[in-house]
Amino acid sequence: MSQYQWDWLVIFENVTDTDEFYYQWLISGLGWTLLIALSAWVIALILGTIIGTARTLPNKFVAGIATAYVELFRNIPLIVQLFMWFFVLPEMVPTNIGNWMKQDMPHPGIITSIIGLGLFTAARVAEQIRTGILALPRGQKNAGLALGLTLAQTYRHVLLPMAFRVVIPPLTSEFMSIFKNSAVAYSITATELFFQMKQITGDYKPANQIEVVTIVGLIYILVAFSANRIMTFIERRVQVPGYISGGK
Amino acid sequence: MSIIRFVNVNKWFKQLHVLKNVSLEIAQGEVVVVCGPSGSGKSTLIRTVNQLEPISDGEIWVIDQNVADHRTDINALRADVGFVFQHFNLYPHLSVLDNITLAPIKVRKQSREAAEQKAVQLLERVGLAHKKDAFPSQLSGGQQQRVAIARGLAMEPKIMLFDEPTSALDPEMIGEVLQVMKDLALSGITMMVVTHEMGFAREVAHRVVFLDHGEVLEQATPAEFFSAPKTDRAKQFLKQILSPMH
Amino acid sequence: MQKRLAFLVAAVSASFIGHAQANELTGTLKKIKDSGSITVGHRESSIPFSYLDDAQKPIGYAMDLCWKVVDAVKKELKLPNLAVKLNPVTSQTRIPLITNGTVDIECGSTTNSKERQKQVAFGVSTYVTSVRMLTKADSGVKTLDDLNGKAVVTTTGTTSDRYIKQNEKGHNIDVKNVYGKDHAESFLMVESGRAVAFVMDDVLLAGLIANSKSPKDFMIAGPALSVEPYGIMIRKDDPQFKKLVDDTLIGLMKSGEVEKIYNKWFTQPIPPKNINLNLPMSPQLKEAIKNPNDNGV
Repeated sequence: MSQYQWDWLVIFENVTDTDEFYYQWLISGLGWTLLIALSAWVIALILGTIIGTARTLPNKFVAGIATAYVELFRNIPLIVQLFMWFFVLPEMVPTNIGNWMKQDMPHPGIITSIIGLGLFTAARVAEQIRTGILALPRGQKNAGLALGLTLAQTYRHVLLPMAFRVVIPPLTSEFMSIFKNSAVAYSITATELFFQMKQITGDYKPANQIEVVTIVGLIYILVAFSANRIMTFIERRVQVPGYISGGK
Repeated sequence: MSIIRFVNVNKWFKQLHVLKNVSLEIAQGEVVVVCGPSGSGKSTLIRTVNQLEPISDGEIWVIDQNVADHRTDINALRADVGFVFQHFNLYPHLSVLDNITLAPIKVRKQSREAAEQKAVQLLERVGLAHKKDAFPSQLSGGQQQRVAIARGLAMEPKIMLFDEPTSALDPEMIGEVLQVMKDLALSGITMMVVTHEMGFAREVAHRVVFLDHGEVLEQATPAEFFSAPKTDRAKQFLKQILSPMH
Repeated sequence: MQKRLAFLVAAVSASFIGHAQANELTGTLKKIKDSGSITVGHRESSIPFSYLDDAQKPIGYAMDLCWKVVDAVKKELKLPNLAVKLNPVTSQTRIPLITNGTVDIECGSTTNSKERQKQVAFGVSTYVTSVRMLTKADSGVKTLDDLNGKAVVTTTGTTSDRYIKQNEKGHNIDVKNVYGKDHAESFLMVESGRAVAFVMDDVLLAGLIANSKSPKDFMIAGPALSVEPYGIMIRKDDPQFKKLVDDTLIGLMKSGEVEKIYNKWFTQPIPPKNINLNLPMSPQLKEAIKNPNDNGV
């Protein structure tokens, strides 16, 4: 019964009435996807490390704030968070700032996506970092403090370097996820890869949606796989000789 | 002139009274062995000296500073008090050399060259100069503990604390660690050692402190303590610890 | 003579087709006859063409027309109790579902385009939409030139941004294109001041205005940037079914019944909120009803 007319070269066709090609749209979308995901990852790593560390501190107040952050940002769906940053926040701030955010901020969708995705992923990274710190033998912290290192130096030089090594595998999956999650940015006007897919498969190239969706899916797989390879490379580079992770 | 002085020290873990009114003085240059049955509070006691365990009340004076006073710069104090752990606690991601130089560089602000030069000397002293580039997980337990001792000494501490330094070691490695500790004891540094190694106590300790149920029950020279313990509990303890099974 | 010949050809071909239908069904009609059921594809929120009412039943202008087609199928196949299955479709799934045989007839708001004609066929056009601008009533935007330097929103997956881009050169204007993920969000962009105008099919804009908190704050402005026919979508290369669909629709057009159905959905209050779109027939639609055709754009 199926009479679908397959055409895998559809992305190399000219966009009707323009001098553009569909593959150029996909490349441009991929560029924004990489920019959003990588920038958000930087935010997520830095902030996530701070928050995850804060959750393990003896100071109950600081740890409480960090816990609240994690619960808040981890339990609200990403698409809702982006919507709130993009549509709700400008209405909450003074009118002139709100108007600036709405009308004059450069690339508002991209910047909001980077920040929103970064804050969301930071909560997830924080949990990994916290788990990593707690997985270290208790004596490690004492071994730093007993030599006169401050608590901050103990975290910086003793606990975090090992915690990072312990959590590289779960961090790898967060890193892969951030590319997938960046697709949500399309919902707040970012013209990234998923947006371009929706755009092309909508009214622009309505006849060969299956091929375009499949090609975009393959691009996401390729990106996630590359992310995985990069993390594996880093894991090998920082591997401690003779140390079996998960051991004592 | 005592370098460590416990004054009526009490500590509770919730309902559990683990240190009961402990008063104890250790003089500069003295080597003191603290012993007692497991659960007697001896590990807790030695950890209160550099505030790895905070105390509930009382005072502990270390190098003329009250460590229980929150105005005391505890980091500076800890730098002057070396601590050797039962489980070594070397930093697994750092080489032997970096394990030793980390604190001198970060806390004492020594140059890397100076710190490394000193570290190599210390490694020679504990017989491990050839392992300076190895990582902790590539060393035996005995070697790790000797590195840990070198790490403590690198800060040029006035006091060395040992918390059951040989308990986690295989029997054939205990000797090498004890030998390093004996050499150290003879160098004149103040040492407080929690251990079951009665041979070590007999050989180099100036004094033995017997602790049970959080109380200091006896203090005596090794000769007195081993030949004529005063309390029944000390007698019981010695009988168990010196039996052929151990 | 010529008239006679034409009559003769018509009579012969009519009898031939009648003969063929009576004896030898092909394509969709054969599938319907064999399976004893027809599957109608419908949209869930394409107001007022094809959307779900409070009882989750698809209703709308296109649905009413489709029911007429279904009636004609029953009559043609002499199957008064033909089972009618309903299958929801989206703008992403509607073409694959038609081509793979899941859905026999799609009743929604699908533009009849040459691009789509590579995969599917359309009945004669039943609606003609124009792409126009929605702005706030007090925005002062009346022509394309008023958009210079401003953000203009269109919905992802539509071609409306293309019309803006095409007009930019002729008008010497520079427009910031932004994209809402759906029509509701595009409307929100105008409502919240993130964009000055929303460029989209007039019928969708009218629906958004009618559904908004205060319809009088918005208006549809500017010229028609593009005109597109909507059609009922069926499988291609299926002349029997295509003829039945077209004959049914053309019959409704000639009898004036289409106009009645149109008014029911476009100029009167409709469920679920009893909102009136206030969208009388455009000249382009009147023309399409007068001269039925299935030309794509």
